[in-house]
Amino acid sequence: MKILELKNITKNFGAIHALQGVDLAISPGEAVGLMGDNGAGKSTLMKIVAGNFSPSNGEIFIEGKKTFFSNPLDARNHGIEIVYQDLALCDNLTAAANVFLVRELMSGFGFFSRLKHSAMNDRAAELFEELKSETRPKDLVEQMSGGQRQAVALARTRLSNPKLVLLDEPTAAISVRQVAGVLARIKQLKETGHAVILVSHRMPDVFAVCDRVVVLRRGKKIADKPILKTSTEEVTGLITGAIETA
Amino acid sequence: MFSNNRLLFLIDNLIWAILLVVFIFFVFQSEHFLTERNISNILAAATVLGLLVAGQTFVLISGNFDLSTESTLGMAALFGIWLIVPGGVPTNGGGIFMNPYLSIIATLSMGAAIGYCIGCLITYGSMHNFIVTLAGLLIIRGLMLAFTEGAPVNGFNNPSADVFYWLGHNKAFRVPGLGKISVAVIATGLVYFICHLILKHHKFGRELYAIGGNREAAAALGINVGRRIRQVYLLSGLLAALAGWMLAGRVVSVQSNLGEGFIFTVFAGAVIGGVSLKGGRGTMLGALGGVLLLSTIDRGLNLMHVSVFWIKVIQGLIILLAMLIDAQRVRLRELSLTAITEKKL
Repeated sequence: MKILELKNITKNFGAIHALQGVDLAISPGEAVGLMGDNGAGKSTLMKIVAGNFSPSNGEIFIEGKKTFFSNPLDARNHGIEIVYQDLALCDNLTAAANVFLVRELMSGFGFFSRLKHSAMNDRAAELFEELKSETRPKDLVEQMSGGQRQAVALARTRLSNPKLVLLDEPTAAISVRQVAGVLARIKQLKETGHAVILVSHRMPDVFAVCDRVVVLRRGKKIADKPILKTSTEEVTGLITGAIETA
Repeated sequence: MFSNNRLLFLIDNLIWAILLVVFIFFVFQSEHFLTERNISNILAAATVLGLLVAGQTFVLISGNFDLSTESTLGMAALFGIWLIVPGGVPTNGGGIFMNPYLSIIATLSMGAAIGYCIGCLITYGSMHNFIVTLAGLLIIRGLMLAFTEGAPVNGFNNPSADVFYWLGHNKAFRVPGLGKISVAVIATGLVYFICHLILKHHKFGRELYAIGGNREAAAALGINVGRRIRQVYLLSGLLAALAGWMLAGRVVSVQSNLGEGFIFTVFAGAVIGGVSLKGGRGTMLGALGGVLLLSTIDRGLNLMHVSVFWIKVIQGLIILLAMLIDAQRVRLRELSLTAITEKKL
């Protein structure tokens, strides 16, 4: 059973055709590297899967069932977690508040429920420890380094037990040592049966952890190959257009 | 690290230290300052302003402005009394003789409706909040003038509607050292307590901070930003109407310019209390501190017999000073944040 299947996804922003008939399928325990030049449609595709955009055309299947996401919360309830390229953090809130944003732990009934501050702080501290990050739950995000901010965004994906984790350029803004940490985290997700889609510009990262590489160019999928049957040279050629199709 | 966090705490709660200094200054300036009568006057002066500042604090934290509340305040006071008094000279009411309980409900609903309409115009109409609320300020004030043709609506001589004046007029009980505490003071205190709970301990407040801090991120994570902003304006309008109801009970005779120019003091109170005009920062307790500081200064200057002709100048200087303090606070914050980050590296 495929965790996620996209069929003929098309997305238009006015006259701009961001995605044109993209198909993509991913199984449990599989990591797919999604590559392409700037403006190829990678982030748009991720945002469709995460429920931020709805496709102009095409269908989304989750575990074989046709699904429609009306908002990002909807996608999360279907077991899809995303780490956005800009991490989507609020600088004015604490690390714990950011981790639990929109999914706050509360006690009480309906409107009269209150936030469980200490429970959220404790859980966030556990998550940061699992991620081997020194981030403290009560620190404001504005006080944090790039790696700590990354940890806050990653910790969000561990609140639920997601089927699919989307990582949009997770290694773009962090140090070399921290990149190793993120890659280890992706391997760990694979081993525990989660599917991962990694959007990245960095060829070594994709080749280090992914099983398949998918290349987008100008909104079209032009390649979908197992990592073992391709090379960095071929993928580079596909991205730039030096090689037409694979 | 700990001392740095303590420094941030101090920076964010500077208002209470300033309030203490100003208070002590006035105690030495006037023998009448530290009297039961004056203290209860300070608290009474803080009520109407306090309600407007509470509403504005919600709006500011969500990263918006609401200039219209001073007009909503006046409109609510005018409308509430108009509903319950006889028509014609000298009361100039509607002659409806509405049940006072119903008129209270009508007044509050009108405030909430005005706020909600403004919120809808901003979110559905994608218009800038500053311009929409400025237009709201003018339109509501204009309606008040057109409606009354400048004549005051007077609430005297209708004892059957005493309930309406209860909030602004009555004393609740006597507290040693503080004088007779009015119903208005207790109500304002209660409003601040509830607003504090909402902002600090409720999901709604948490989402407002998120929207004010990073609107795109809040939307990306699934917060319905437009809906929250409409709710914030509704709340602001409701609190302005509550303030209007309270003020109607105090002044009894409502002029069509009631509350005009008040919005500047409201912003001053919020900003002095540490609520950021850029959104995402500030607390209800800080805002309360700002309100208390302004009313303390107001009463203090009064007791020092400062000429009324100079009061406006002093008020302007206070607002300027508040902005200066806010700018320094932001700078201090950034400095201490850099210190923290450097320590980490």
